[in-house]
Amino acid sequence: MISDITLGQFFPGSSILHRLDPRTKLLLSLLYIIGVFLLNTPMAFILYTLITLSLILASRISMRVILKGIKPIVIVLIFTMIINILLTSGEGEPLFSFLIFAVYKEGIIRAFFMAYRVIMLIVGSSVLLTYTTSPIALTDGLESLLSPLKLIKVPVHLFAMMMTIALRFIPTLIEETETIMNAQKSRGANFTEGSIIKRARALIPILVPLFVSSFKRAEELAVAMECRCYRGDVGRTKMNKLKYRLRDILWLTVGALLFAGLILLSVKSAELSALGEAMRILFYKI
Amino acid sequence: MEKIRIEGVSFIYSKGTPFERRALDGVSCSFEAGKITCLIGHTGSGKSTLVNLLNGLYRPTEGKVYLDGEDIWARPKKITDIRRRVGLVMQYPEYQLFDETVYSDIAFGPKNLGLDAGEIDLRVREAIAFVGLDEALLSKSPFELSGGQKRRVAIAGIIAMRPEVLVLDEPAAGLDPRGRREILGGLTRYVRERGITLILVSHSMEDMASYCDNVVVMKDAKVFMQGTVDEVFSHPDELDAVGLDTPEITKLAQGLIQAGIVLSGALYTVEDVRDAILRYIGGNAQ
Repeated sequence: MISDITLGQFFPGSSILHRLDPRTKLLLSLLYIIGVFLLNTPMAFILYTLITLSLILASRISMRVILKGIKPIVIVLIFTMIINILLTSGEGEPLFSFLIFAVYKEGIIRAFFMAYRVIMLIVGSSVLLTYTTSPIALTDGLESLLSPLKLIKVPVHLFAMMMTIALRFIPTLIEETETIMNAQKSRGANFTEGSIIKRARALIPILVPLFVSSFKRAEELAVAMECRCYRGDVGRTKMNKLKYRLRDILWLTVGALLFAGLILLSVKSAELSALGEAMRILFYKI
Repeated sequence: MEKIRIEGVSFIYSKGTPFERRALDGVSCSFEAGKITCLIGHTGSGKSTLVNLLNGLYRPTEGKVYLDGEDIWARPKKITDIRRRVGLVMQYPEYQLFDETVYSDIAFGPKNLGLDAGEIDLRVREAIAFVGLDEALLSKSPFELSGGQKRRVAIAGIIAMRPEVLVLDEPAAGLDPRGRREILGGLTRYVRERGITLILVSHSMEDMASYCDNVVVMKDAKVFMQGTVDEVFSHPDELDAVGLDTPEITKLAQGLIQAGIVLSGALYTVEDVRDAILRYIGGNAQ
Protein backbone atom coordinates (compact mmCIF):
# COMPACT_ATOMS: atom_id res chain seq x y z
CA MET A 1 0.00 0.00 0.00
CA ILE A 2 1.27 3.50 -0.75
CA SER A 3 0.50 4.69 2.74
CA ASP A 4 3.21 2.35 3.99
CA ILE A 5 5.93 4.64 2.64
CA THR A 6 7.87 5.72 5.69
CA LEU A 7 10.39 8.12 4.19
CA GLY A 8 9.49 11.64 5.27
CA GLN A 9 6.89 10.55 7.76
CA PHE A 10 6.63 11.65 11.38
CA PHE A 11 6.44 8.98 14.09
CA PRO A 12 5.05 10.43 17.30
CA GLY A 13 6.99 9.52 20.41
CA SER A 14 8.63 10.88 23.53
CA SER A 15 12.31 10.00 23.07
CA ILE A 16 15.02 12.55 23.80
CA LEU A 17 15.23 13.30 20.08
CA HIS A 18 11.51 13.96 19.95
CA ARG A 19 11.79 16.42 22.82
CA LEU A 20 14.71 18.44 21.46
CA ASP A 21 14.00 21.90 20.12
CA PRO A 22 13.43 21.71 16.34
CA ARG A 23 16.06 24.39 15.82
CA THR A 24 18.63 22.25 17.59
CA LYS A 25 17.72 19.35 15.38
CA LEU A 26 17.89 21.48 12.25
CA LEU A 27 21.35 22.76 13.16
CA LEU A 28 22.54 19.29 14.10
CA SER A 29 21.33 17.81 10.86
CA LEU A 30 23.06 20.59 8.96
CA LEU A 31 26.31 19.61 10.69
CA TYR A 32 25.52 15.96 10.08
CA ILE A 33 24.97 16.48 6.36
CA ILE A 34 28.13 18.54 5.92
CA GLY A 35 29.95 15.87 7.90
CA VAL A 36 28.80 13.10 5.59
CA PHE A 37 30.49 14.80 2.69
CA LEU A 38 33.66 15.66 4.58
CA LEU A 39 34.54 12.24 5.89
CA ASN A 40 37.09 10.28 3.93
CA THR A 41 39.18 8.18 6.30
CA PRO A 42 38.27 4.77 7.76
CA MET A 43 38.35 6.21 11.28
CA ALA A 44 35.90 8.92 10.30
CA PHE A 45 33.62 6.31 8.79
CA ILE A 46 33.63 4.31 11.98
CA LEU A 47 32.94 7.43 14.03
CA TYR A 48 30.08 8.35 11.73
CA THR A 49 28.53 4.92 11.86
CA LEU A 50 28.66 5.05 15.65
CA ILE A 51 27.08 8.51 15.74
CA THR A 52 24.30 7.38 13.42
CA LEU A 53 23.65 4.22 15.39
CA SER A 54 23.44 6.15 18.64
CA LEU A 55 21.04 8.61 17.02
CA ILE A 56 18.81 5.73 15.97
CA LEU A 57 18.94 4.34 19.50
CA ALA A 58 18.18 7.75 20.98
CA SER A 59 15.15 8.16 18.69
CA ARG A 60 13.69 4.81 19.85
CA ILE A 61 12.50 4.20 16.30
CA SER A 62 12.62 0.56 15.34
CA MET A 63 15.29 -0.60 12.91
CA ARG A 64 12.57 -2.04 10.70
CA VAL A 65 11.06 1.37 10.08
CA ILE A 66 14.46 2.77 9.23
CA LEU A 67 15.27 -0.02 6.80
CA LYS A 68 11.89 0.47 5.20
CA GLY A 69 12.79 4.12 4.67
CA ILE A 70 15.89 3.12 2.72
CA LYS A 71 14.06 0.54 0.63
CA PRO A 72 12.71 2.93 -2.02
CA ILE A 73 16.19 4.11 -2.98
CA VAL A 74 17.91 0.74 -3.04
CA ILE A 75 17.49 0.27 -6.78
CA VAL A 76 18.81 3.75 -7.59
CA LEU A 77 21.68 3.12 -5.24
CA ILE A 78 22.65 -0.19 -6.80
CA PHE A 79 22.45 1.35 -10.23
CA THR A 80 24.75 4.26 -9.33
CA MET A 81 27.13 1.87 -7.61
CA ILE A 82 27.45 -0.21 -10.75
CA ILE A 83 28.02 2.88 -12.88
CA ASN A 84 30.63 4.08 -10.42
CA ILE A 85 32.44 0.76 -10.39
CA LEU A 86 32.46 0.47 -14.16
CA LEU A 87 33.38 4.00 -15.07
CA THR A 88 35.96 4.98 -12.47
CA SER A 89 39.48 4.55 -13.66
CA GLY A 90 42.37 4.31 -11.25
CA GLU A 91 46.10 4.02 -11.14
CA GLY A 92 47.86 0.72 -11.70
CA GLU A 93 46.44 -2.46 -13.12
CA PRO A 94 42.67 -2.98 -13.17
CA LEU A 95 41.42 -5.77 -10.91
CA PHE A 96 39.72 -7.36 -13.90
CA SER A 97 38.17 -6.23 -17.14
CA PHE A 98 35.47 -7.35 -19.51
CA LEU A 99 34.06 -5.95 -22.75
CA ILE A 100 34.98 -2.28 -22.72
CA PHE A 101 34.94 -1.96 -18.92
CA ALA A 102 37.82 -2.19 -16.55
CA VAL A 103 37.22 -2.45 -12.84
CA TYR A 104 39.69 -0.72 -10.54
CA LYS A 105 40.08 -0.83 -6.80
CA GLU A 106 39.37 2.91 -6.70
CA GLY A 107 36.03 2.38 -8.42
CA ILE A 108 34.88 -0.13 -5.83
CA ILE A 109 35.99 2.07 -2.95
CA ARG A 110 34.31 5.08 -4.50
CA ALA A 111 31.05 3.21 -5.11
CA PHE A 112 31.07 1.96 -1.54
CA PHE A 113 31.70 5.44 -0.12
CA MET A 114 28.99 6.91 -2.30
CA ALA A 115 26.42 4.33 -1.19
CA TYR A 116 27.46 4.74 2.44
CA ARG A 117 27.08 8.51 2.22
CA VAL A 118 23.65 8.38 0.64
CA ILE A 119 22.37 5.85 3.18
CA MET A 120 23.80 7.82 6.11
CA LEU A 121 22.33 10.99 4.66
CA ILE A 122 18.87 9.52 4.51
CA VAL A 123 19.00 7.67 7.81
CA GLY A 124 20.57 10.58 9.69
CA SER A 125 18.32 13.30 8.39
CA SER A 126 15.17 11.24 8.81
CA VAL A 127 16.04 10.18 12.35
CA LEU A 128 17.11 13.69 13.34
CA LEU A 129 14.32 15.50 11.57
CA THR A 130 11.36 13.93 9.87
CA TYR A 131 10.81 10.82 11.98
CA THR A 132 11.11 12.67 15.28
CA THR A 133 9.87 16.18 14.50
CA SER A 134 6.27 17.00 13.71
CA PRO A 135 5.92 18.99 10.48
CA ILE A 136 4.56 21.96 12.41
CA ALA A 137 7.55 22.02 14.77
CA LEU A 138 9.86 21.65 11.81
CA THR A 139 8.56 24.68 9.97
CA ASP A 140 8.36 26.63 13.23
CA GLY A 141 12.02 25.92 13.78
CA LEU A 142 12.89 26.82 10.24
CA GLU A 143 11.00 30.07 10.46
CA SER A 144 12.76 30.96 13.67
CA LEU A 145 16.21 30.08 12.31
CA LEU A 146 15.64 32.04 9.12
CA SER A 147 14.00 35.02 10.79
CA PRO A 148 17.13 37.21 10.47
CA LEU A 149 16.43 37.17 6.74
CA LYS A 150 13.30 39.21 7.42
CA LEU A 151 15.61 42.18 7.74
CA ILE A 152 16.36 41.96 4.03
CA LYS A 153 12.65 41.56 3.24
CA VAL A 154 12.59 37.83 2.65
CA PRO A 155 9.01 36.62 3.37
CA VAL A 156 10.19 33.94 5.78
CA HIS A 157 6.82 33.51 7.42
CA LEU A 158 5.08 32.94 4.10
CA PHE A 159 7.62 30.30 3.12
CA ALA A 160 7.18 28.57 6.44
CA MET A 161 3.40 28.68 6.15
CA MET A 162 3.53 27.29 2.63
CA MET A 163 5.78 24.52 3.81
CA THR A 164 3.55 23.71 6.76
CA ILE A 165 0.56 23.45 4.47
CA ALA A 166 2.43 21.34 1.94
CA LEU A 167 3.68 18.95 4.61
CA ARG A 168 0.30 18.83 6.30
CA PHE A 169 -1.41 17.70 3.13
CA ILE A 170 1.04 15.02 2.04
CA PRO A 171 -0.73 12.27 4.04
CA THR A 172 -4.11 13.53 2.85
CA LEU A 173 -2.90 13.43 -0.71
CA ILE A 174 -1.48 9.94 -0.31
CA GLU A 175 -4.73 8.73 1.18
CA GLU A 176 -6.69 10.32 -1.60
CA THR A 177 -4.45 8.86 -4.29
CA GLU A 178 -5.06 5.47 -2.80
CA THR A 179 -8.82 5.95 -2.67
CA ILE A 180 -8.96 7.13 -6.28
CA MET A 181 -6.68 4.31 -7.40
CA ASN A 182 -8.95 1.82 -5.68
CA ALA A 183 -12.00 3.40 -7.25
CA GLN A 184 -10.50 3.14 -10.73
CA LYS A 185 -9.30 -0.39 -10.04
CA SER A 186 -12.90 -1.20 -9.17
CA ARG A 187 -13.78 0.05 -12.62
CA GLY A 188 -11.35 -2.40 -14.15
CA ALA A 189 -8.37 -0.08 -14.53
CA ASN A 190 -5.00 -1.80 -14.51
CA PHE A 191 -1.90 0.11 -13.50
CA THR A 192 0.61 -2.69 -13.47
CA GLU A 193 0.29 -4.33 -16.87
CA GLY A 194 0.92 -3.29 -20.44
CA SER A 195 3.49 -1.15 -22.21
CA ILE A 196 4.94 2.01 -20.69
CA ILE A 197 2.65 4.19 -22.80
CA LYS A 198 -0.36 2.18 -21.71
CA ARG A 199 0.65 2.48 -18.08
CA ALA A 200 1.25 6.21 -18.42
CA ARG A 201 -2.19 6.59 -19.95
CA ALA A 202 -3.64 4.60 -17.08
CA LEU A 203 -2.49 7.39 -14.75
CA ILE A 204 -4.85 9.96 -16.29
CA PRO A 205 -7.90 8.63 -14.39
CA ILE A 206 -5.92 9.13 -11.17
CA LEU A 207 -4.24 12.44 -11.89
CA VAL A 208 -7.29 14.34 -13.13
CA PRO A 209 -9.44 13.73 -10.03
CA LEU A 210 -6.41 14.34 -7.82
CA PHE A 211 -5.72 17.73 -9.41
CA VAL A 212 -9.36 18.73 -9.31
CA SER A 213 -9.71 17.96 -5.63
CA SER A 214 -6.35 19.55 -4.77
CA PHE A 215 -7.37 22.83 -6.34
CA LYS A 216 -10.71 22.65 -4.63
CA ARG A 217 -9.07 21.94 -1.30
CA ALA A 218 -6.59 24.81 -1.73
CA GLU A 219 -9.46 27.17 -2.37
CA GLU A 220 -11.43 25.94 0.62
CA LEU A 221 -8.38 26.22 2.84
CA ALA A 222 -7.74 29.78 1.70
CA VAL A 223 -11.33 30.73 2.47
CA ALA A 224 -11.17 29.02 5.86
CA MET A 225 -7.95 30.86 6.71
CA GLU A 226 -9.42 34.20 5.71
CA CYS A 227 -12.51 33.47 7.79
CA ARG A 228 -10.19 33.18 10.76
CA CYS A 229 -8.61 36.50 9.82
CA TYR A 230 -5.24 35.13 8.76
CA ARG A 231 -3.18 37.97 7.32
CA GLY A 232 0.42 36.89 7.46
CA ASP A 233 2.85 37.19 10.34
CA VAL A 234 2.41 40.84 11.27
CA GLY A 235 1.25 40.87 14.87
CA ARG A 236 0.79 37.11 14.90
CA THR A 237 1.55 35.32 18.15
CA LYS A 238 2.37 31.69 18.67
CA MET A 239 0.69 29.21 20.95
CA ASN A 240 3.77 27.05 21.40
CA LYS A 241 6.78 29.30 21.67
CA LEU A 242 10.09 27.62 20.93
CA LYS A 243 12.48 27.70 23.86
CA TYR A 244 16.07 26.52 24.13
CA ARG A 245 16.67 24.31 27.13
CA LEU A 246 19.76 22.94 28.79
CA ARG A 247 19.53 19.73 26.79
CA ASP A 248 19.58 21.69 23.53
CA ILE A 249 22.76 23.46 24.53
CA LEU A 250 24.26 20.12 25.55
CA TRP A 251 23.34 18.42 22.29
CA LEU A 252 24.62 21.33 20.22
CA THR A 253 27.92 21.34 22.12
CA VAL A 254 28.37 17.60 21.69
CA GLY A 255 27.42 17.93 18.03
CA ALA A 256 29.95 20.71 17.46
CA LEU A 257 32.67 18.74 19.23
CA LEU A 258 31.98 15.63 17.19
CA PHE A 259 32.01 17.74 14.06
CA ALA A 260 35.39 19.19 14.98
CA GLY A 261 36.68 15.70 15.74
CA LEU A 262 35.43 14.53 12.38
CA ILE A 263 37.27 17.31 10.60
CA LEU A 264 40.45 16.36 12.43
CA LEU A 265 39.98 12.72 11.44
CA SER A 266 39.21 13.51 7.83
CA VAL A 267 41.82 16.07 7.04
CA LYS A 268 45.03 14.37 5.98
CA SER A 269 47.97 14.80 8.34
CA ALA A 270 49.90 16.85 5.79
CA GLU A 271 47.05 19.29 5.52
CA LEU A 272 46.77 19.26 9.28
CA SER A 273 50.39 20.31 9.77
CA ALA A 274 49.92 22.98 7.13
CA LEU A 275 46.88 24.18 9.06
CA GLY A 276 48.92 24.16 12.27
CA GLU A 277 51.65 26.13 10.57
CA ALA A 278 49.13 28.68 9.37
CA MET A 279 47.66 29.00 12.86
CA ARG A 280 51.10 29.47 14.36
CA ILE A 281 51.94 32.25 11.94
CA LEU A 282 48.58 33.83 12.61
CA PHE A 283 48.96 33.75 16.38
CA TYR A 284 52.58 34.82 16.12
CA LYS A 285 51.51 37.95 14.29
CA ILE A 286 48.88 38.76 16.90
CA MET B 1 -28.07 -19.31 -1.47
CA GLU B 2 -25.09 -17.33 -0.41
CA LYS B 3 -23.19 -15.32 -2.98
CA ILE B 4 -20.36 -14.03 -0.85
CA ARG B 5 -19.11 -15.62 2.32
CA ILE B 6 -16.51 -14.19 4.64
CA GLU B 7 -14.75 -16.47 7.05
CA GLY B 8 -12.66 -15.37 10.01
CA VAL B 9 -11.38 -12.30 8.25
CA SER B 10 -9.05 -9.89 10.03
CA PHE B 11 -7.48 -6.84 8.50
CA ILE B 12 -4.69 -4.73 9.95
CA TYR B 13 -3.69 -1.35 8.53
CA SER B 14 0.01 -0.36 8.45
CA LYS B 15 1.12 -3.60 10.01
CA GLY B 16 4.41 -3.39 11.84
CA THR B 17 4.45 0.40 12.26
CA PRO B 18 3.38 2.52 15.24
CA PHE B 19 0.23 3.28 13.23
CA GLU B 20 -0.89 -0.34 13.21
CA ARG B 21 -4.66 -0.56 13.51
CA ARG B 22 -6.90 -3.60 13.49
CA ALA B 23 -9.89 -2.63 11.39
CA LEU B 24 -11.47 -6.08 11.24
CA ASP B 25 -11.15 -8.79 13.83
CA GLY B 26 -12.24 -12.31 12.96
CA VAL B 27 -15.27 -11.27 10.93
CA SER B 28 -17.53 -13.97 9.52
CA CYS B 29 -20.73 -13.24 7.64
CA SER B 30 -22.45 -13.99 4.37
CA PHE B 31 -24.43 -12.18 1.71
CA GLU B 32 -27.31 -13.95 0.02
CA ALA B 33 -27.63 -14.08 -3.75
CA GLY B 34 -30.27 -11.79 -5.23
CA LYS B 35 -30.98 -10.13 -1.90
CA ILE B 36 -30.29 -6.67 -0.63
CA THR B 37 -28.11 -6.76 2.43
CA CYS B 38 -27.44 -3.72 4.53
CA LEU B 39 -24.07 -3.40 6.22
CA ILE B 40 -24.65 -1.11 9.14
CA GLY B 41 -22.56 0.21 11.97
CA HIS B 42 -20.99 3.25 13.51
CA THR B 43 -18.16 5.27 11.99
CA GLY B 44 -14.96 3.28 12.46
CA SER B 45 -16.71 -0.04 12.98
CA GLY B 46 -14.96 -1.52 9.94
CA LYS B 47 -17.71 -1.29 7.31
CA SER B 48 -15.64 0.39 4.63
CA THR B 49 -12.69 -1.92 5.19
CA LEU B 50 -14.94 -4.92 4.82
CA VAL B 51 -16.29 -3.52 1.58
CA ASN B 52 -12.81 -3.12 0.15
CA LEU B 53 -12.17 -6.78 0.90
CA LEU B 54 -15.22 -7.94 -1.03
CA ASN B 55 -13.78 -7.17 -4.47
CA GLY B 56 -10.18 -7.84 -3.60
CA LEU B 57 -8.89 -4.28 -3.28
CA TYR B 58 -7.50 -5.29 0.09
CA ARG B 59 -6.20 -8.71 0.89
CA PRO B 60 -7.27 -10.05 4.29
CA THR B 61 -4.47 -10.31 6.85
CA GLU B 62 -6.18 -13.50 8.04
CA GLY B 63 -9.19 -15.44 6.82
CA LYS B 64 -10.88 -16.03 3.49
CA VAL B 65 -13.40 -14.33 1.22
CA TYR B 66 -15.47 -16.63 -0.98
CA LEU B 67 -17.40 -15.63 -4.10
CA ASP B 68 -19.76 -18.39 -5.26
CA GLY B 69 -17.86 -20.76 -2.99
CA GLU B 70 -14.46 -19.95 -4.47
CA ASP B 71 -11.67 -18.25 -2.56
CA ILE B 72 -11.15 -14.95 -4.39
CA TRP B 73 -7.45 -14.98 -3.54
CA ALA B 74 -6.90 -18.51 -4.85
CA ARG B 75 -5.20 -17.00 -7.89
CA PRO B 76 -4.00 -13.49 -6.99
CA LYS B 77 -3.12 -12.72 -10.62
CA LYS B 78 -6.78 -13.14 -11.56
CA ILE B 79 -8.03 -10.68 -8.97
CA THR B 80 -9.10 -8.24 -11.70
CA ASP B 81 -11.71 -10.80 -12.76
CA ILE B 82 -13.17 -10.63 -9.27
CA ARG B 83 -13.31 -6.84 -9.49
CA ARG B 84 -15.34 -7.21 -12.68
CA ARG B 85 -17.82 -9.52 -11.02
CA VAL B 86 -18.12 -7.51 -7.83
CA GLY B 87 -18.77 -3.86 -8.64
CA LEU B 88 -17.79 -1.49 -5.85
CA VAL B 89 -18.95 2.10 -5.58
CA MET B 90 -16.82 3.84 -2.97
CA GLN B 91 -17.82 6.57 -0.59
CA TYR B 92 -18.19 9.93 -2.34
CA PRO B 93 -17.63 8.33 -5.75
CA GLU B 94 -18.08 11.68 -7.51
CA TYR B 95 -14.37 12.38 -6.84
CA GLN B 96 -13.32 9.60 -9.19
CA LEU B 97 -14.80 11.22 -12.32
CA PHE B 98 -12.08 12.27 -14.73
CA ASP B 99 -13.07 12.10 -18.37
CA GLU B 100 -14.10 14.88 -20.71
CA THR B 101 -17.71 13.85 -21.04
CA VAL B 102 -20.17 11.99 -18.88
CA TYR B 103 -20.48 9.45 -21.67
CA SER B 104 -16.80 8.53 -21.81
CA ASP B 105 -16.60 8.49 -18.04
CA ILE B 106 -19.37 5.92 -17.75
CA ALA B 107 -17.79 4.04 -20.67
CA PHE B 108 -14.45 3.76 -18.81
CA GLY B 109 -15.42 0.57 -16.99
CA PRO B 110 -16.99 -1.24 -19.96
CA LYS B 111 -14.00 -0.22 -22.09
CA ASN B 112 -11.68 -1.83 -19.56
CA LEU B 113 -13.76 -4.98 -19.96
CA GLY B 114 -12.77 -4.96 -23.63
CA LEU B 115 -16.28 -4.62 -25.02
CA ASP B 116 -16.99 -3.32 -28.53
CA ALA B 117 -18.33 0.17 -29.16
CA GLY B 118 -21.91 -0.95 -29.79
CA GLU B 119 -22.15 -2.88 -26.55
CA ILE B 120 -20.54 -0.02 -24.64
CA ASP B 121 -23.08 2.43 -26.09
CA LEU B 122 -25.93 0.16 -25.08
CA ARG B 123 -24.65 -0.21 -21.55
CA VAL B 124 -23.93 3.48 -21.05
CA ARG B 125 -27.46 4.43 -22.07
CA GLU B 126 -28.96 1.69 -19.93
CA ALA B 127 -26.89 2.69 -16.92
CA ILE B 128 -27.74 6.36 -17.12
CA ALA B 129 -31.45 5.50 -17.33
CA PHE B 130 -31.20 3.35 -14.21
CA VAL B 131 -29.70 6.13 -12.13
CA GLY B 132 -32.43 8.46 -13.35
CA LEU B 133 -30.40 10.92 -15.38
CA ASP B 134 -31.31 12.47 -18.71
CA GLU B 135 -29.41 11.30 -21.81
CA ALA B 136 -28.82 14.95 -22.67
CA LEU B 137 -26.23 15.03 -19.90
CA LEU B 138 -24.07 12.45 -21.68
CA SER B 139 -22.24 15.02 -23.78
CA LYS B 140 -21.57 17.37 -20.86
CA SER B 141 -18.41 17.50 -18.80
CA PRO B 142 -18.83 15.67 -15.49
CA PHE B 143 -17.36 18.70 -13.74
CA GLU B 144 -20.31 20.86 -14.80
CA LEU B 145 -22.84 18.70 -12.97
CA SER B 146 -24.28 19.16 -9.51
CA GLY B 147 -23.04 17.00 -6.64
CA GLY B 148 -26.02 14.65 -6.77
CA GLN B 149 -25.76 14.26 -10.54
CA LYS B 150 -22.05 13.50 -10.30
CA ARG B 151 -22.79 10.83 -7.72
CA ARG B 152 -25.25 9.19 -10.09
CA VAL B 153 -22.81 9.31 -12.98
CA ALA B 154 -20.24 7.56 -10.81
CA ILE B 155 -22.76 4.88 -9.85
CA ALA B 156 -23.75 4.49 -13.50
CA GLY B 157 -20.07 3.90 -14.28
CA ILE B 158 -20.18 0.75 -12.17
CA ILE B 159 -23.64 -0.37 -13.27
CA ALA B 160 -22.46 -0.20 -16.88
CA MET B 161 -20.02 -3.00 -16.09
CA ARG B 162 -22.98 -5.23 -15.19
CA PRO B 163 -21.46 -6.82 -12.11
CA GLU B 164 -23.08 -9.84 -10.43
CA VAL B 165 -22.69 -8.22 -7.06
CA LEU B 166 -23.07 -4.52 -6.50
CA VAL B 167 -21.51 -3.01 -3.39
CA LEU B 168 -22.24 0.59 -2.50
CA ASP B 169 -20.48 2.37 0.32
CA GLU B 170 -22.84 5.05 1.65
CA PRO B 171 -24.34 5.88 -1.75
CA ALA B 172 -26.66 8.47 -0.26
CA ALA B 173 -24.23 10.22 2.11
CA GLY B 174 -24.58 13.97 2.01
CA LEU B 175 -27.65 13.99 -0.23
CA ASP B 176 -30.98 15.58 0.59
CA PRO B 177 -33.94 13.27 1.37
CA ARG B 178 -35.24 13.46 -2.17
CA GLY B 179 -31.83 12.63 -3.67
CA ARG B 180 -31.55 9.73 -1.24
CA ARG B 181 -34.89 8.30 -2.23
CA GLU B 182 -34.15 8.65 -5.93
CA ILE B 183 -30.74 7.01 -5.80
CA LEU B 184 -31.67 4.21 -3.41
CA GLY B 185 -35.04 3.63 -5.06
CA GLY B 186 -33.49 3.45 -8.54
CA LEU B 187 -30.79 1.09 -7.34
CA THR B 188 -33.11 -1.31 -5.58
CA ARG B 189 -35.39 -1.39 -8.62
CA TYR B 190 -32.41 -2.17 -10.82
CA VAL B 191 -31.05 -5.00 -8.70
CA ARG B 192 -34.47 -6.58 -8.18
CA GLU B 193 -35.11 -6.52 -11.91
CA ARG B 194 -31.76 -8.12 -12.71
CA GLY B 195 -31.49 -10.47 -9.74
CA ILE B 196 -28.27 -8.82 -8.66
CA THR B 197 -26.90 -9.17 -5.15
CA LEU B 198 -26.73 -5.75 -3.54
CA ILE B 199 -24.70 -4.83 -0.49
CA LEU B 200 -25.49 -1.43 0.89
CA VAL B 201 -23.30 0.24 3.48
CA SER B 202 -25.19 2.73 5.55
CA HIS B 203 -25.58 4.09 9.00
CA SER B 204 -29.16 5.04 8.51
CA MET B 205 -31.66 2.66 10.04
CA GLU B 206 -34.38 4.23 7.91
CA ASP B 207 -32.59 3.20 4.70
CA MET B 208 -32.09 -0.27 6.03
CA ALA B 209 -35.74 -0.65 6.96
CA SER B 210 -37.07 0.59 3.67
CA TYR B 211 -34.73 -1.04 1.16
CA CYS B 212 -33.09 -4.12 2.61
CA ASP B 213 -33.87 -7.82 3.14
CA ASN B 214 -30.96 -8.72 5.41
CA VAL B 215 -28.78 -6.84 7.81
CA VAL B 216 -25.23 -7.25 9.06
CA VAL B 217 -24.53 -5.06 12.08
CA MET B 218 -20.88 -4.23 12.76
CA LYS B 219 -19.41 -3.03 16.01
CA ASP B 220 -15.76 -2.41 16.92
CA ALA B 221 -14.28 -4.39 14.01
CA LYS B 222 -16.57 -7.36 14.64
CA VAL B 223 -19.92 -8.60 13.37
CA PHE B 224 -22.37 -7.80 16.14
CA MET B 225 -25.57 -9.21 14.72
CA GLN B 226 -26.87 -10.55 11.43
CA GLY B 227 -30.19 -11.70 10.10
CA THR B 228 -33.28 -10.46 8.33
CA VAL B 229 -34.55 -6.95 8.96
CA ASP B 230 -37.30 -8.31 11.24
CA GLU B 231 -34.86 -10.40 13.26
CA VAL B 232 -32.48 -7.52 13.79
CA PHE B 233 -35.20 -5.05 14.69
CA SER B 234 -36.61 -7.44 17.25
CA HIS B 235 -33.58 -6.62 19.44
CA PRO B 236 -34.06 -2.88 19.96
CA ASP B 237 -32.11 -2.82 23.21
CA GLU B 238 -29.03 -4.38 21.65
CA LEU B 239 -29.27 -1.96 18.73
CA ASP B 240 -29.46 0.86 21.23
CA ALA B 241 -26.33 -0.46 22.91
CA VAL B 242 -24.42 -0.25 19.61
CA GLY B 243 -25.63 3.31 19.25
CA LEU B 244 -27.95 2.53 16.36
CA ASP B 245 -31.38 4.00 16.65
CA THR B 246 -34.55 2.34 15.62
CA PRO B 247 -36.24 4.45 12.92
CA GLU B 248 -38.22 7.46 14.13
CA ILE B 249 -41.43 6.02 12.75
CA THR B 250 -40.91 2.77 14.66
CA LYS B 251 -40.44 4.74 17.86
CA LEU B 252 -43.70 6.53 17.14
CA ALA B 253 -45.46 3.23 16.53
CA GLN B 254 -44.06 1.85 19.78
CA GLY B 255 -45.38 4.92 21.55
CA LEU B 256 -48.79 4.29 20.06
CA ILE B 257 -48.68 0.65 21.16
CA GLN B 258 -47.80 1.72 24.69
CA ALA B 259 -50.78 4.10 24.60
CA GLY B 260 -53.01 1.10 23.95
CA ILE B 261 -53.35 1.27 20.18
CA VAL B 262 -52.65 -2.27 19.00
CA LEU B 263 -50.57 -2.14 15.82
CA SER B 264 -49.36 -5.33 14.19
CA GLY B 265 -46.94 -6.42 11.49
CA ALA B 266 -43.67 -4.78 10.44
CA LEU B 267 -43.43 -1.20 11.65
CA TYR B 268 -40.21 0.11 10.13
CA THR B 269 -41.30 2.48 7.40
CA VAL B 270 -43.86 5.23 7.17
CA GLU B 271 -45.86 3.02 4.80
CA ASP B 272 -45.76 0.07 7.23
CA VAL B 273 -47.10 2.18 10.05
CA ARG B 274 -49.71 3.86 7.87
CA ASP B 275 -51.05 0.46 6.84
CA ALA B 276 -50.98 -0.79 10.42
CA ILE B 277 -52.92 2.25 11.62
CA LEU B 278 -55.43 1.83 8.81
CA ARG B 279 -55.82 -1.84 9.77
CA TYR B 280 -56.32 -0.81 13.39
CA ILE B 281 -58.96 1.77 12.45
CA GLY B 282 -60.63 -0.70 10.10
CA GLY B 283 -60.65 -3.37 12.85
CA ASN B 284 -62.23 -0.97 15.33
CA ALA B 285 -64.87 0.15 12.90
CA GLN B 286 -66.23 -3.38 12.48
